[in-house]
Amino acid sequence: MGAFLQYTVIGLTVGSFYALVALGYTIVYGIIRLINFAQGDLSMVGAFLGWTLLVSFGFQRLPLYLALIIAFVVPMLGTAAVNIVILQFAYKPLLRKSLLAILITALGMSLLLQNTAELIWGPSIQAYPPNLLPSTGFFMGPVHVTYVQLALVFVSLLLMGGMVLFVQGTTVGTAMRALAVDHDAARLMGINVDGIIRLAFVLGAMLAAASGVMLGLYYVQIQFTMGFLLGLRAFTAAVLGGIGNIPGAMAGGMLIGLLESYTTGYLSGSWKDVIVFGVLITVLIVKPTGLFGERVAERM
Amino acid sequence: MIDRLANRGVAHAYVRSRDQLGRIPFWARVIAILAVVGGAVLLNGDDYVTAVAVTVATYAMLGLGLNIVVGYAGLLDLGYAAFFAIGAYTSSLLMTEAHWNFFATLPLAVLFTGTAGAILGYPTLRLRSDYLAIVTLGFGEMTRITFNNWDYAGGPNGILQIPWPNFFGYELNTQGDFLIVGLVLLAVAMIFARNLDHSRLGRGWVAIREDEFAAESVGVPSLRLKLFAYVMGGMWGGLAGAFFATRIGAIDPTSFTFQLSVLVLIVIVLGGTGSLPGVLVGALVVVAMPEVLREFADRRLLIFAVLLIGMMLLRPQGLWPRIRRKPKPFYGLQEEESEDVADRILREHQVQMEERERRHAAAGRQVPQKGEALLEIEGLVQQFGGLRAVDNVTFEVRRGEIFSIIGPNGGGKTTLFNCITGVQKPKRGKIRFDGRSVVGLRPHVIVSRGIGRTFQGIRLFKNMAVFENVMVGLYPRHRTMTWQTMLHTPGERKDEVRTLQESRRWLGFVGLESVAGRLATELSYADQRRVEIARALAAHPHLVLFDEPAAGMNPTEKLELVSIIRKIRDLGITVVLIDHDMSLVMRVSDRIAVLDHGVLIALGKPAEIQQNPAVIEAYLGREEDLLEDKAQGA
Repeated sequence: MGAFLQYTVIGLTVGSFYALVALGYTIVYGIIRLINFAQGDLSMVGAFLGWTLLVSFGFQRLPLYLALIIAFVVPMLGTAAVNIVILQFAYKPLLRKSLLAILITALGMSLLLQNTAELIWGPSIQAYPPNLLPSTGFFMGPVHVTYVQLALVFVSLLLMGGMVLFVQGTTVGTAMRALAVDHDAARLMGINVDGIIRLAFVLGAMLAAASGVMLGLYYVQIQFTMGFLLGLRAFTAAVLGGIGNIPGAMAGGMLIGLLESYTTGYLSGSWKDVIVFGVLITVLIVKPTGLFGERVAERM
Repeated sequence: MIDRLANRGVAHAYVRSRDQLGRIPFWARVIAILAVVGGAVLLNGDDYVTAVAVTVATYAMLGLGLNIVVGYAGLLDLGYAAFFAIGAYTSSLLMTEAHWNFFATLPLAVLFTGTAGAILGYPTLRLRSDYLAIVTLGFGEMTRITFNNWDYAGGPNGILQIPWPNFFGYELNTQGDFLIVGLVLLAVAMIFARNLDHSRLGRGWVAIREDEFAAESVGVPSLRLKLFAYVMGGMWGGLAGAFFATRIGAIDPTSFTFQLSVLVLIVIVLGGTGSLPGVLVGALVVVAMPEVLREFADRRLLIFAVLLIGMMLLRPQGLWPRIRRKPKPFYGLQEEESEDVADRILREHQVQMEERERRHAAAGRQVPQKGEALLEIEGLVQQFGGLRAVDNVTFEVRRGEIFSIIGPNGGGKTTLFNCITGVQKPKRGKIRFDGRSVVGLRPHVIVSRGIGRTFQGIRLFKNMAVFENVMVGLYPRHRTMTWQTMLHTPGERKDEVRTLQESRRWLGFVGLESVAGRLATELSYADQRRVEIARALAAHPHLVLFDEPAAGMNPTEKLELVSIIRKIRDLGITVVLIDHDMSLVMRVSDRIAVLDHGVLIALGKPAEIQQNPAVIEAYLGREEDLLEDKAQGA
């Protein structure tokens, strides 16, 4: 039982990272029906930008709260800028063309981001400052919870909550939801369609970057290839929750985190991706709309 | 001036030589080119160059397989390395554990990967295309991880010391030997792939890629064809995998990563999806470029990523695009006189009818005679949310008549068609055709039962020529087996010629033979509708459903349409028509049904319908309404 609860804590922590990336997938997919393969790699870019600030620029020596604010905010903005460039140069010209062309382009973009990162930051593993955050924690019965875990989950929930409020509660959020239903109708209603698409890409990239920095802080080690599997797991989470569905993506992320943690704990770490993909395929076959129902219709 | 003349001379010579080249069969060209290239590499004698050439051949084989899935069927497969892996492991295990000869393992490797393709494809092909891409990616990774964890296959260490292939006592162990084997396998793979492309199957794939819904509705079994694409693609991958394993002598799971799947995808995107020479060009670029530009070899993935994106943006058709153009599609076919055409169609159709009667008699059923009910609809209900699009509709269509369904917009007419053709499943009610229920059957099955249709919004296969559109319509009538297609057997050839000839006849029937070689989108609106009619007729239906065939036609074209509809009826085909043009409907129909808000409000002869007060009310509103409107307006 103790082990089970311990795995649950780990699973929820990791799951909250996945949930952030999954949210990015869902927002972009909901609006332009594109599986942005580069989503996971944006997370990697965010992680490396954070690393550059903390380690190369030495911001880790600043007071902790200041260092953290910088290490989150700057990568989020930087990654958002990268994603906007990607959108304008690569996806925009293809939006009205075939699904196949844009999917292949997205795949190429993922490859490009990885290899550019390798060029800039090198092929080897880089380490976040290991002692930046306290490794202390407390015991809840038999379960050990670190303050870092709590803080990371808290920040994730904060970001996700802000996202939900934004999409549900603001005029711009309403415009986003309108766009998810029908581009042409939204355009006729005077919504700046291109602007909203850009906004979706900015938000998606910011969430991905935040999760990247969190992964760096939590696991310490980062590498240019980290985005690929992260992206796949997050995509699985988004599909599991029902793509286009924001609460669904969050729940899906947590579920994938838990599943992975239990598999690693009870079975073996080497099987965890098989289990995750197995879940993905099963969900898609049995209930393609996900556990909580998707919020989009297929583009004909 | 002289310059221009000279240029024209060159152009003529070029066209002529191309025509002559075109007459040499594809297999001969493939063998000649591969023999020349192989000979040149072997004579060069440099082991390193030979080794690179062998790798190019391997990638070309992989590219050919993925090309079937992505290029022909239009399904994005991101886990193609899995098939490569399964082929390699099957062959290696048989060679190391069971001591089989390499060449004996090939059929099994191909069989296993084909089966793997079916296993992957069967449950997933209903998914929409972007999900499918992710599922294949997951499949690829799962396969690799499974091999990594499978102790019998060596786990992460893989299989070592795979023996050299033995060819009747001669051990093949130099790069030169492998080049020969590789080129032979490549030639086989290319010829088979080309035969598939230029067959009924290939046409079906293109049709699915262009418009899956329309393809299914004219009789192409889209799910089965997509499954075929996976199986075929898998088989090619298995062949390449087996070859790769014996050539390298040792395999392990790291040889079959996602990166390999992406590289093969790059091969076909660079070369041009769907293009066979493109695959060779792509393989050459992907394999040889990093070898030539050594200093960039470390950065090759970066370069490929840029190339991939750049190609998609600037030249999506690829370096050597696939060409599908036949300006004179019927060239070389036996000429037929125009009266002859009508006769032949009639005769052909009578043969079909007799065959149907025989079939029915054998099954102990009776075929409806002229004037008896052919299509019976009973208590049909279709509901979308709270809206009843079709509400308890009952009527029958008799064999040999022209039956029209009219009514105000939103009356449920097209929904009714969709229910009959299997596009939608009705909520309640019965639909019987030929005395048998067709509810719940897939659209292509209903087509093969004998119901053809056209669409309200034209749904032709846009990037196919007119005659090819009609040939797709002939799909359900031919029984060529896949192996016949791959080998391009005389039987298959005869079938193809017959298909071509028949499509010509149907185009002649609707008066479009002269534009047969044009792309469907180049025709006028009215002509496109006529192509749709020819496509529907090509399946030799007993009943055709025309959804607003006169929309967008001018009066002359409408007159021609009326004569075509009458000619169709004269063939013994029953016609059901939806249209808004009252004069056309009244002129051509034997009986008319009127639907308003999903309810059948009138049924009868044209004259009766014109007098029916309920119909007049549905179209014009009641007199009191008009008065009220006036009052409000004032």
